[in-house]
Amino acid sequence: MNTIDDAALVEALRQQMTKSVARQVAASGNLANVDTPNYKAVEPTFADTLKGQLAMKATKPNHINPASPAPGTVREIPDAVARRDGNTVELDRELLTMQRASGDFAQAQTALAAKFKLVRYAISESK
Amino acid sequence: MPLDPLTLSNATGSVLNRAKTGGAASGTGAGLTSSFGEALGKLVEGIEQTSADANTAVTGMMEKTGDVHDAMIALQREELTLQLSVQIRNKLVSAYQEIMRMPI
Amino acid sequence: MSTLSAASKAAASALAVERTRIEAAVSNLANAESTRSADGKPYRRRDVVLRAEPVESFQAALGRSTATGVKVAAVVEDQSEYRRRYEPSHPDADKDGFVSLPNVDAANEMVDMVGAARAYQANLAAIGIIRDMVAKALELGRG
Repeated sequence: MNTIDDAALVEALRQQMTKSVARQVAASGNLANVDTPNYKAVEPTFADTLKGQLAMKATKPNHINPASPAPGTVREIPDAVARRDGNTVELDRELLTMQRASGDFAQAQTALAAKFKLVRYAISESK
Repeated sequence: MPLDPLTLSNATGSVLNRAKTGGAASGTGAGLTSSFGEALGKLVEGIEQTSADANTAVTGMMEKTGDVHDAMIALQREELTLQLSVQIRNKLVSAYQEIMRMPI
Repeated sequence: MSTLSAASKAAASALAVERTRIEAAVSNLANAESTRSADGKPYRRRDVVLRAEPVESFQAALGRSTATGVKVAAVVEDQSEYRRRYEPSHPDADKDGFVSLPNVDAANEMVDMVGAARAYQANLAAIGIIRDMVAKALELGRG
């Protein structure tokens, strides 16, 4: 069994959950402001995942900082069409984003839960 | 370097080996004790680290500055580290006793 | 760092706001023909002014990202012109026989009301989605 993959996998899954949360937060803000004049719909921007992970390995192998260093930044959704009041939020698009984010979140959670269960089993069964 | 329960398969073996070879190389009882002591020390370090991380993450969650999933993952790592450490400690202790029983 | 709780607050802030918009639309529709309101003048259309606002002002002040909510900045009276209708027999007709009627367009009010109701429903759904996500995350803590 390639042991490095387990830790990297957990970190990748954790990041997927964090990204899903970021998408959800942005979508919530957009949806709340669907009727606010001149409000521009935003979406989160993510730094290159691979680079981020490698950088973390370089500084502290095997020590994952739970207070994730990834900063939350957003940008205006590109090519968004504004209505007469200057608002660019599309209600259905935001709802769809939320459903997707929720799905990705649940997917990663399920995989993580299974992984932890397996590792726990391996520890308890190790001779 | 503290133990990561997720790099499991070699962890138990490598800690034991380090302790055993360190103990055998030094030859004396005091050397053996300090090698095993070092190994146990590493275990404690790992527990302290994951425990501190979990506390930070959970506090963050409670104060709404951190995410819930980060806290849960940190707690799992703490639990797994603890479980793994207990297993290793048990094996270290029995390996130590085994070596001590050997005629010089 | 913004969390799901901030997202939930943002959605919740929208509920109150959209409800206010619905109330304004209802009031406008109900008074569309009121030539004489409390101040003796014809009813003026109520307009709800919205403003985006970070849900956690403290966090925002520290420069940390948080969720953007919404609030009612003010409920103002629409200052556009009254409608005028030629109806000499009306008790409030002026010397030329014209009545000044509220600057309310029923069709617009209906559109606003339906839009607000839809936005309300969507934000309510968002709160549910977020709650489920938090529950899923907490599940990870169980052994």
